[in-house]
Amino acid sequence: MKKSNSKLGATRLGRRDFLVKSSGALAAGAVGAFNIRTAAAADTVNIGGLYPVTGNFAQIGQGCVNAAKLAVQMVNDAGGIKSLGGAKLNLIVSDVQSDPTVTRTETDRLISSYRPAAIHGAFASALTLIASEVAERAKVPLLTGSSSDQLNKDRHFTFTPFSRASQFALAQLQMSKLVSDQPKVAVIFENTAFGTSTSNGLREQAPAQGVEIVMFEPYSAGLSDASPLINKVKASGANMLFPVSYLNDLILIIRAIKQVDLKIAINGGSGGFVIPDFYRNVGNAAEGLLGVAHWNHDISDNAQKVNAAYQKQFGEFLFEYAGGLVAQTFMIADALERAASTDPQKVRDALAALDVSEGYAAMCPGGKVKFGPDGKNIYAHPVGVQWQHGDLATVFPKEEARAQLIKA
Amino acid sequence: MLATLAQAVINGLLIGGIYALVSIGVTLIFGVVKIVNFAQGEFVMIGMYISFFLASSFGVDPLLSLLISMPTLFAIGVLVQHFLIRRVLGLGDMPQIFLTFALSLLLMNVALLLFTANYRTVQTAYSESSFHIGPLYFAVAKLIAFVIAMLLSAVLYLFLHGTDLGKAMRAAAQNREVAMLMGINPDRVFCVAVGVALALAGAAGSLLMPFYPAYPLVGQVFVLMAFVAVVLGTLGNITGALIASLMMGVAESLGVQFVGADSGLIVVFVLLLLTLALRPNGLFGGWAR
Repeated sequence: MKKSNSKLGATRLGRRDFLVKSSGALAAGAVGAFNIRTAAAADTVNIGGLYPVTGNFAQIGQGCVNAAKLAVQMVNDAGGIKSLGGAKLNLIVSDVQSDPTVTRTETDRLISSYRPAAIHGAFASALTLIASEVAERAKVPLLTGSSSDQLNKDRHFTFTPFSRASQFALAQLQMSKLVSDQPKVAVIFENTAFGTSTSNGLREQAPAQGVEIVMFEPYSAGLSDASPLINKVKASGANMLFPVSYLNDLILIIRAIKQVDLKIAINGGSGGFVIPDFYRNVGNAAEGLLGVAHWNHDISDNAQKVNAAYQKQFGEFLFEYAGGLVAQTFMIADALERAASTDPQKVRDALAALDVSEGYAAMCPGGKVKFGPDGKNIYAHPVGVQWQHGDLATVFPKEEARAQLIKA
Repeated sequence: MLATLAQAVINGLLIGGIYALVSIGVTLIFGVVKIVNFAQGEFVMIGMYISFFLASSFGVDPLLSLLISMPTLFAIGVLVQHFLIRRVLGLGDMPQIFLTFALSLLLMNVALLLFTANYRTVQTAYSESSFHIGPLYFAVAKLIAFVIAMLLSAVLYLFLHGTDLGKAMRAAAQNREVAMLMGINPDRVFCVAVGVALALAGAAGSLLMPFYPAYPLVGQVFVLMAFVAVVLGTLGNITGALIASLMMGVAESLGVQFVGADSGLIVVFVLLLLTLALRPNGLFGGWAR
């Protein structure tokens, strides 16, 4: 008897509970609808940021989120989107956890629950490719600094304001001419998809650039000792080294070069090579090393301004990917301004018609952004950078160099 | 050409010293306690982090922090033996394998949680320095690591052969029951054996720190070579593990130099297969006396 009583009570409580919850949900739904209907009149515009805040890329991802918040604050402090009644940008950050499966579900969730006008992300090309697929299907525009050339194939909602992977390889080869009139390059690359595709890109374009490749050697990623490999580089007679490696192997490679007193210029490419963490780990041995980047904090006055604000807040310089996404946020703001709507389709059309050469949206190497039919910025190109006194200085191409190249 | 060859041998020997510290630990535990410790690499990782934090927080030189990492790892070893390994000793092989394998996974993931996946390095005055004799280069940090590794191996050898506790350890390894009848307390002996083995792993970690980055999965880099050396040098044979480790280092280095940088390990594993086919008990059959 007692038992059934308590059971009855539970049911009643459950039912009451259900009513309370469902009415709450109804109310929330009403508020949500209200938001969407009146977005054009005032308040906020949702934009999405997909970044890996946990997992392998966590540290870079956190830097990206910091920069994304700073960018949104800059847009809002300047009065928001005027054609939408001064609507403020509202950044929705989604953690894609450095994981392709999570990236798919998170992108889906971001789009269906927040209906963003546009999205930017997701640092690693492997993650961005997936986010881009989801965004294409949902017809929401995605801007990205990721360099995979595949992001420009059969896509209508994906925009890439910065240089492509193939352009990076070209710039790297051209930069070897800065070091020597007759560059003899040794390419050592980890035997992974990343290492193989990057190094093949270098090898294919080398003859046309008059660069001789004297050593082309895959190695097993996760070296226990780089000395044997460097012993081999030394024997090859190369005067320029392109390591295609992640940070742990790179640290060993650079130290091994110092240890055998090998005088060789090093161009480590992009990604992990051009972030503050690299210098923290490698220290003085990083001085003079070359790299390539799709963005650098000294490329323009605007970039320097943003960098100063970021540095003040987070204590390190604004790195490539994070700086690029600040520009992307302003591109989205510019598109929203012209579209005078938060409808993703209209924002997409406005992005496709984007043509800027001033302001933060044009804060790219070359200072101009205009997208071609494949979503590529037709003016995009990388810059060559060098570690100088713990800072990353742009040294290539000549017209955009902000510092003299230091020769080893 | 000759200089290149000699340099390759030197490079191999120097890193072989580190492999030796790891493999001696594995072989010691196997010889005495009869259990394969799959987590040995993770204890190297702990040694590295101890040295890293001492260096970054208090400016302690990684070589000096040997004096802290070794006793700490010894204590961890005693605890691991007493609370974990002891419980599975009477059971079959499977629980023993699962225990140390699970410990390895646990330690890696706890390290990921606590220290994140970031690479940590220590800059010392000698991290990038070297001296040369003729055309041959010797990296200072690696040479120091090699010399200390050899000294520690020698001390261990003397300990096992010259002290009562060492002799008790070898006795317990040879025949547990008879050793007990002779008044040897095997639990105590096993605790010391695991403690010493982990202390060696800790030493390897501290010695690596001046020239190798620390990260949660770093143990895996060294443990594979250590296991090959343990089998090649005959399971349980300490001198065998030492010599085999140095051989592995040289084989790997020569492989990278003359076969290909992604095939250094091929040479190592060909050696292993040949040894297993021709001398199934390893090159140094039997327990070192």
